[in-house]
Amino acid sequence: MSSREDGPARGPCAAPGTCEPLLAGMAGTACDRDAPLLRAGNTNCGGCGMSITLNMLSRAIGARRVQLAIPACCGIVTAGPFPYSAYGAPVVAATFASAAAVATGLARVAQMNGEDTRVLCFAGDGGTYDIGMATLSAAAERDEDILYVCYDNEIYGNTGGQRSSATPLGARTSTTPAGKAQAKKDILAILAAHRVPYVASVSLAHPDDAVAKFARALDLRGFRFVHVLAPCPTGWKSEPAEGIRLVRLAVRSGLYPVCQIEEGRRWTVDVEPDFDRDALAEYFAGQGRFRGDRLDLGAVAGQIQEQWQELRRRCAGGVRT
Amino acid sequence: MSLEFVSANHAAAMAAALAGRANERARGFGGGVYPITPQTECIEWLCQQEFARGEIVRVESEHSAMAVCMGMALAGARTFTASSSNGLAYMTENVFAAALYRLPIVMMAVNRTLGPPWNIWVDHGDTLLLRDSGWVQFYCEDNQEVFDSILLAYRLAEDRRVLLPVLVCQDAFVLSHTMMQTDVPDLETVRRFLPDLDLPHRLGDRPVTVGGLDFPHETEAHRRQHAEAMARVPEVYRECQDRFAAVFGRRPADAVECYRMDDAEVAFLSMATTASTVRAVVDAARGRGVKLGAVRLRMFRPFPEAALRSALAGCRRLGILDRDISLGLGGVLWAEARACAPAGCVVQNYMVGLGGGDVRPRDVDGMLQDLLARDAAGEPRLVEVGS
Amino acid sequence: MDSLVEFRLHGRGGQGGVTCAKILAAAYAAQGKSVQTFGDYAGERSGAPVRAYTRISDAPITNRNKVYEPHHLVVLDHHLLGPDVFAGLRPGGTVLLNTPEPMAAYRGTYESFTLATVDATRIARAHKIGSRAVVIVNTTIAGAFARLHGIPLDLLRQTYKKLGFLGNFAAAEEAYAAVQIRPASQPAGADAAVAAAGLPAVQPLEEHVVGPAPRLRTGNWGTQRPHYVENLAPCNAWCPAGNDVIGFVQSLATGHPGTAAEILGRSTPLAAVCGRVCPAPCMEGCNRREYDGAVQIRALERFVADATPVAARAAPVLPSARRIAIVGGGPAGLSAAYEVAKAGHRVTVFEGERALGGVLRTGIPTYRLPRDVLDREIEGVLALGVELRSGSFLRRDDVARLAREYDAVILATGLQDLRGLEVPGAGLAGVEQGIRFLHRVNLAGPVRLTGHVVVLGGGNTAIDCARSALRAGATRVTVAYRRTRAEMPAIREEVEEAEQEGVVLVEQRQPVACHGAGRVQEVELALVEMGPPDGTGRRRPIVTDRRERIVCDHVLLALGQSADLSLLPEGWTVQDGRVHRAGEALPVFAAGDLATGDGTVTHAIGSGRRAAGLALRALGLDVAVFERPERARSVPATDIRFDHFAPRPPAHGAVLDPWQRRAGFAEVNAGLPDAAEAHRCFSCGHCTRCDTCLVYCPEGIIRREAPGYEVDYSYCKGCGICVEECPRRAMEMSGS
Repeated sequence: MSSREDGPARGPCAAPGTCEPLLAGMAGTACDRDAPLLRAGNTNCGGCGMSITLNMLSRAIGARRVQLAIPACCGIVTAGPFPYSAYGAPVVAATFASAAAVATGLARVAQMNGEDTRVLCFAGDGGTYDIGMATLSAAAERDEDILYVCYDNEIYGNTGGQRSSATPLGARTSTTPAGKAQAKKDILAILAAHRVPYVASVSLAHPDDAVAKFARALDLRGFRFVHVLAPCPTGWKSEPAEGIRLVRLAVRSGLYPVCQIEEGRRWTVDVEPDFDRDALAEYFAGQGRFRGDRLDLGAVAGQIQEQWQELRRRCAGGVRT
Repeated sequence: MSLEFVSANHAAAMAAALAGRANERARGFGGGVYPITPQTECIEWLCQQEFARGEIVRVESEHSAMAVCMGMALAGARTFTASSSNGLAYMTENVFAAALYRLPIVMMAVNRTLGPPWNIWVDHGDTLLLRDSGWVQFYCEDNQEVFDSILLAYRLAEDRRVLLPVLVCQDAFVLSHTMMQTDVPDLETVRRFLPDLDLPHRLGDRPVTVGGLDFPHETEAHRRQHAEAMARVPEVYRECQDRFAAVFGRRPADAVECYRMDDAEVAFLSMATTASTVRAVVDAARGRGVKLGAVRLRMFRPFPEAALRSALAGCRRLGILDRDISLGLGGVLWAEARACAPAGCVVQNYMVGLGGGDVRPRDVDGMLQDLLARDAAGEPRLVEVGS
Repeated sequence: MDSLVEFRLHGRGGQGGVTCAKILAAAYAAQGKSVQTFGDYAGERSGAPVRAYTRISDAPITNRNKVYEPHHLVVLDHHLLGPDVFAGLRPGGTVLLNTPEPMAAYRGTYESFTLATVDATRIARAHKIGSRAVVIVNTTIAGAFARLHGIPLDLLRQTYKKLGFLGNFAAAEEAYAAVQIRPASQPAGADAAVAAAGLPAVQPLEEHVVGPAPRLRTGNWGTQRPHYVENLAPCNAWCPAGNDVIGFVQSLATGHPGTAAEILGRSTPLAAVCGRVCPAPCMEGCNRREYDGAVQIRALERFVADATPVAARAAPVLPSARRIAIVGGGPAGLSAAYEVAKAGHRVTVFEGERALGGVLRTGIPTYRLPRDVLDREIEGVLALGVELRSGSFLRRDDVARLAREYDAVILATGLQDLRGLEVPGAGLAGVEQGIRFLHRVNLAGPVRLTGHVVVLGGGNTAIDCARSALRAGATRVTVAYRRTRAEMPAIREEVEEAEQEGVVLVEQRQPVACHGAGRVQEVELALVEMGPPDGTGRRRPIVTDRRERIVCDHVLLALGQSADLSLLPEGWTVQDGRVHRAGEALPVFAAGDLATGDGTVTHAIGSGRRAAGLALRALGLDVAVFERPERARSVPATDIRFDHFAPRPPAHGAVLDPWQRRAGFAEVNAGLPDAAEAHRCFSCGHCTRCDTCLVYCPEGIIRREAPGYEVDYSYCKGCGICVEECPRRAMEMSGS
């Protein structure tokens, strides 16, 4: 039985007068064709959510000048062997924990030379939630002029699928063969607690929302953090074709809140879930990493409810201040 | 030029700031900094400076301090940081990375004992840990040398034939917190010595992945290129010395510095401040008729093997003084330098002044007596000198 | 003695190549051999080329190098075949190749070594090993390897058990059986590659490097590819007239109303009529019904046709034009005439009434279909040069004569037999066939009807009677239907509008008698209960013996009609739309309700089209005969990605207030004010260039290219996201 509590999930914003999202603005531009951020011939797996993230980011970047710091992760392996580069932009392959610090250096020099170069970190969950956390936290605290994008596939994908602190409860990985016993970190709250100008989570299944938020984050100054749930068919043991569908289910079920936090205070929910239990069940059923796991859907739904009560409280609190 | 009465920490900071300001018409200056005793004074001084085009980033760790330097260097700025001991150990991953990116970063290291147990006094084990990192390493003997070496380091590091980071080392407290008169040139003079930095592989707008993947063949080639750059350092260094002398009117020391070695049959090889003590002992021994000389290794990387071999050519007995220990082997300097001694020479290793033990002339004298009494080398000796 | 045998395995990340080498090694280890196996680890992303090596020997193995001169090769992907793969292969070696191609495809190639082929991907996919996009073939092809290299199946099974792969053993067995082996027929060396060239110079890191794009052609990683396809939209499949519904609706949506009219004109001359009175099966089929209500296709059709007459312009009459007679000027006859005339042939329509239109004119009230609308569309047909002979009804011998005088005859006389009420009192005055009542109302000028009118029936005729009766002066109208409202064949909106006007519907009532002295005064109804569904799926009405009587002044019968075949000369029979005499097919065809008896305008139009096509083809002309598409082939609602579309309720035209409606026969519905409703169309199975595929493609290699998109297959990894995300099933995956 589905239990729709808050009305239907919002689809992508419909174009004026139509019932369909207007995607034209984010597709097929000359910029998209000639200078994509991620070039064809990269070594990412088919159906890689990180690749999709880069494409969305690419559309948001448009003609802006960017430099990227990417730590050790799938995102740097995909660049390919020297001197080739699967990136259509200048990229520094940073050491695993150092993306936010290397980006700090790039951003400060750009700033002191009056250059309007937008400096980005593009890091996975391992480089963000785990080894890079101190660097990230420090850069956020210093309010460096950096856009930090975390593509979260909830796993150490580059090393073949080990648990990270972003791995969700119950997920089996090569280092949690019986399923992870702990829930993932609340990264948005962590970043919000730094009171940086902009923190957002982005759904790849809502491309207009994603691109708009990337664009906004690119144009803001100071430290911005964007979190992306990036499906990993290899690590999630899911059909490569179904990555976007899984994200959509995660959003619909409330498992993945799509929201933004301005100045660490103003919380806004951007895509309203319908908390559909069938969607939740489908999300788990579509991924081999949850198979054979005695995941208690009721308990997960309960945790989602609690998470959302907290989120609503924060949203309301933001309005009051 | 003015004579300042400063600690070597401040001397290093002043040199770095001058080098930084000299690049303000180019892409500026900066670095990530993080405090650790006994280096902290240096970065504190820097953080009190105003730069027209410069940013000192107060980061959360040494690891990030070097990462910020890498980011800034890749963006084309002249960069500086300083660290010591466990800080260097924590930074190590990025110390290697900085060299492998081929970035002309200059770092001042105050040599301090690695802990635990914690000990803040001098020991060369921390920077010798980094001997394979691909950095050029200088070990200094006084405040002026620290100051001069920082300026030299930039010119050397940024030379297109080199493009390597340079580590300038000084002994904890013996130099770092010791105030001495130091000649500090004005900015215009420094500018005549240090041209603007124009990094060829600066990250601009071109698509490129700096530091991406190498397959075995690419790594072999990149290591060979790195090694060749290292091999060019002695020659470029000599040019830097010449230019330095022309601009500032004093000539910095050679990579291998000899003292009364022309007819020496017995010699001590040492690094950093120990060398000053050794020279005093040499003079005293010469007064007693002992044909003693001293060799100071100022440049540890690249290892100036030819110069050292030639310096030691007439030696019958050689004592190598290490302020470090490679546990399970002996002194690091000894292990590397002993092959430069001529055939038949008795080469004895003395590890002395570990953990900040004060190496006094009488301690060196003791070693001299030991050395003169030997017909053959023994195991490396750890000489306890107390303090 | 050198017993060392070296294998080299070429595969792709995700296929399990390294594990495959391990399985082979384990199988040899089980035979007491010394074995060594290892992979070449690099950027082993899913799909990227990888190598693995296995050595077996009777002596301990001390070689620590990769295998450069293998005795045997295993190739997990035929796209990998090239000099790199064959480099160093020793004479007399074997190559085991995973390929979808039959062995015959390799005739003339690779003949200097023993070639074994097996379609391990197909087998593994059938056994669901891996995912659809990334099929793991290692455990499957190992079965073929066992056969090629003489490893007993039993031993292989034990190996699988030991390694925990027993679940995949069935696939291995299948490959064991399926592998084809062709011995070498050419001397060694013919296929061997030349030695690798010297290593290239490497650009220094500290130089100004501009990173070129990777040279990797990732297009051969995948085992499947996306394609753009056009699938049958349910509206098109459901439309009995064969209208290109999706075509005209999408033309409207994209701002081309003229094209919409032209598209409708290809299949019907009566779009303004259908846009008012069609029961719109297309809307039954519309996938949006499952979401937030069907697209208002009928209203859109009216919108198009009211603005632009749809009828095609007159075609020049062919020199070889045939002469076709059409009997009956209703929708089927008009449709047949339109079709024949469009094709450049001569048509004569014989109509019994004075004016054309058939039931459209005689049966359907003007408040639903204003006569100027009907006249205009009929004019559109006549304007094609159709000759009209009206005003007298034909008889049998006339039909036989026409069959002689014309090249072909199409009979489209409609439903003339009216079902009567076979109950006591049915013959009383005041009990009248509804059709006759409507005929009077529509053709004979103002008709007055007073008092309480009871209409028996539940179809459109019943509702037309009820609403016309109200307009003719009835003070009260009751419709009695024997099933429930849900089962009424009448158009739902019509029923609702009737009720708004004051018509009372009583469900589950079966007439059993009329009472009255000379004139009907009461109708007696039996209460009906709904039984279980019958063979047609409809619930069967069970008449109970509970009764009620309704006092009334008139009873109008709308119980159904059937075809009147008495027009056919003696011995003529209709078979599958064509008239036969003594087993011989005549050039005489039946169209519309005479052929199908369905009773709707849209069926009549489709039937008329079909009859015209059959007639022309029977005359030896090369014409396409309209066939109703199979509804089962159309895109099901489950293939539409609803979440792509923002919910929006259907648009409706403005309707007159009920009190205004009852005052006369003015058209009730004003139609849609604009074409915005067309934007609700999902465009099932038809690409709208919505850019979804392009936006989601992880490789960024889908490009806009007229008329739609182009996938750069040299980079497509075959992940299938574009197909999965296509909101409308206009893409499909297929084997590469």
